[in-house]
Parts: sequence; structure tokens; C-alpha cells
Amino acid sequence: MKRAIAGLHPWLLQRVTAVYMLLFIVFLLAHFLLDPPQSYLAWHAWMRGPVVSIATFVFCVALLTHMWVGVRDVILDYVKPLAIRVAALTLFGLGLIGLGAWVIHILLFAHG
Amino acid sequence: MKFSIFRFDPDKDKKPYMQDYDIELLPTDRMLLDVILRIKMQDDSLSIRKSCREGVCGSDAMNINGRNGLACITRVRDLKEPVILRPLPSFPVIRDLVVDMTQFFKQYHSIKPYLINDEPPPEKERLQSPEERDKLNGLYECILCACCTSQCPSSWWNPDKFVGPAGLLQAERFIVDSRDRATQDRLDDLNDVYRLFRCRTIMNCTEVCPKGLAPSRAIEKIRLMMVKDSI
Repeated sequence: MKRAIAGLHPWLLQRVTAVYMLLFIVFLLAHFLLDPPQSYLAWHAWMRGPVVSIATFVFCVALLTHMWVGVRDVILDYVKPLAIRVAALTLFGLGLIGLGAWVIHILLFAHG
Repeated sequence: MKFSIFRFDPDKDKKPYMQDYDIELLPTDRMLLDVILRIKMQDDSLSIRKSCREGVCGSDAMNINGRNGLACITRVRDLKEPVILRPLPSFPVIRDLVVDMTQFFKQYHSIKPYLINDEPPPEKERLQSPEERDKLNGLYECILCACCTSQCPSSWWNPDKFVGPAGLLQAERFIVDSRDRATQDRLDDLNDVYRLFRCRTIMNCTEVCPKGLAPSRAIEKIRLMMVKDSI
């Protein structure tokens, strides 16, 4: 199982998150095409509904996870010296955590 | 017909260069290898590997106008002039079109390319049903010419860690063999961030395989088996 984390697990995660993001984007497009909000307030209220905000939150987590696996793959391919590799992965990981915190802040605390 | 051929003799040359040849095609010149052999008759310093001259041994794999292939089954009249011949990309050059395939075979051996079965052998042979045998089609035909692995960017960046398309096609050949008993060990061995999962589904391997095989499909099947295995 230890090796599954290194090989299959991230690969599978990348695919699962891609499918979720695709479904979410289709859902968003369908909503804005079929039932477009008539005002900023209507859009805001819709976004703050529990289902939509949870779905948006999951989308952002999926996006960040997808980014992590993708960029991690690029770093594993091209960055060979261990110290630079660890530094690059750490910096990128911290950046993603920062973005995650920002997403949570927006979803929980942003008011029109 | 004009040819431009990669030349490098480490004993004499400081760096590789391209040498031009102009040769008139004869009616008997059908395949690229026929013409290369006639060039070699004019200039015997040109080094190439060849053996069966009919696409079975895989010795004369080379980069033909930017695309890997076997000289012996490439129709010379279909090629655009000047025909640019280079050794297999990313492989260390020994001389001219001859490359060092040590790393390639090391990766091939790492997947244990033989049946593993500790059960006592039956009196005659280990039988397979026709359906079980059919699963080996599209896998056993690989001649290890290295056209795929040499054209794979993932292999270019990590030739020492990524098994490469040829090795992975062979791995699938033994994973699906009904007589093999090491399926789980084989899957566990490949479930690694480098050995299998450096493959980025670029599919150059399937595109260039001179035998028309599909290493990328074999890799996908191994991944799906791992997914099923992990659920």
C-alpha cells in the first residue's frame, strides 16, 4: 500500500478530480445558459446556497489537488537535484495551501 | 536520391556530423536498407546494424526523416528527399547509426520477461484455452527494436527509472499470461511513481511501432488492472 501512494494513487486522483471538474463546469454553464441570474444579488444568493457552495468548495479542492499532481509530475520529470526538487515541491505545496486558505476565506466570509 | 546520414566515429571525430550521399536508385532497390547497403559498398566506413532484413530481428531500427522505424521494411521510394538518417534518439551512439542498447535491455530484464510458475510442471506442457492464448495477441509480437522507447519523451527524461513502452508492453504480456503465477508481484513492482507512472500517454510509442503494436494500450490495461486490484 505504501507504494500505491506513490504510483497509482496520484494518477487516479488526477483523473477523478478531472471528471468532477468537468461535471461542475457543465453544471455551471447549464445554469447560466438555462436560468441566468437576473441581478448580482440573485447570483450571490444562488452561490451562497448550501449545495452550490459545497459543490464550489469541492471544485476548488479538486482543482488544487489536480494542480498538485500535475506540477509534481513535471518537477519529478525535469528537476533532478534532490535539494532543488524538495524546495520546488515545498514552495509549490505551500502556494497551493495558501490558495486553499484563500478559497475557504472567500466561500465562508465574503459578503456582497 | 539524396541521403544525409549521421556520422560519428569516437576514435576519429571530435563531434558528430551529417554526411551527404547521392545515389541512383536501381529497380531492385525496394527498401531503405537495400540502399544503405549499397551506400556501404561505396563507403565501407559507414556502420549500421542489420540481420534478418525482413522486419523480424529489429536490428536496423533508426531515425528516418525524424521518425523511428526499421530500414528493412521502410519503402525507400515513399521517403521525402533528402532522406535524413540518424541513430535512435536519446540512446548513446557507439558509431554512426549503431547505438548502445544496454539501458534498454536493463529495463526489459527488470520486468522479469519470463514465466514465473512454481507449481509442479505437468507431464507434457502447461495448457491454455484458445481464449487465454488470444490475450497474448498484440503483445508477444514485439521484437525489441526500441523504436518506441527511443521516441518516448518520458524515457528521454528518465531512462534509468521509467521502464519505457517496450518493457511495459512485455510486462503486460506476462501479466495477462494465464500460466504465470506472479501477476500480483508484477503489478506491485510496477506500481511506482517512476517505473510505470512516468507515462504521460503521449502515444509516440504506438505511433511509431513498426510492428503495429500498441504499447500505450498495454500501459493503460496495466493501470486499469491496478485500479481493479486496489478496490
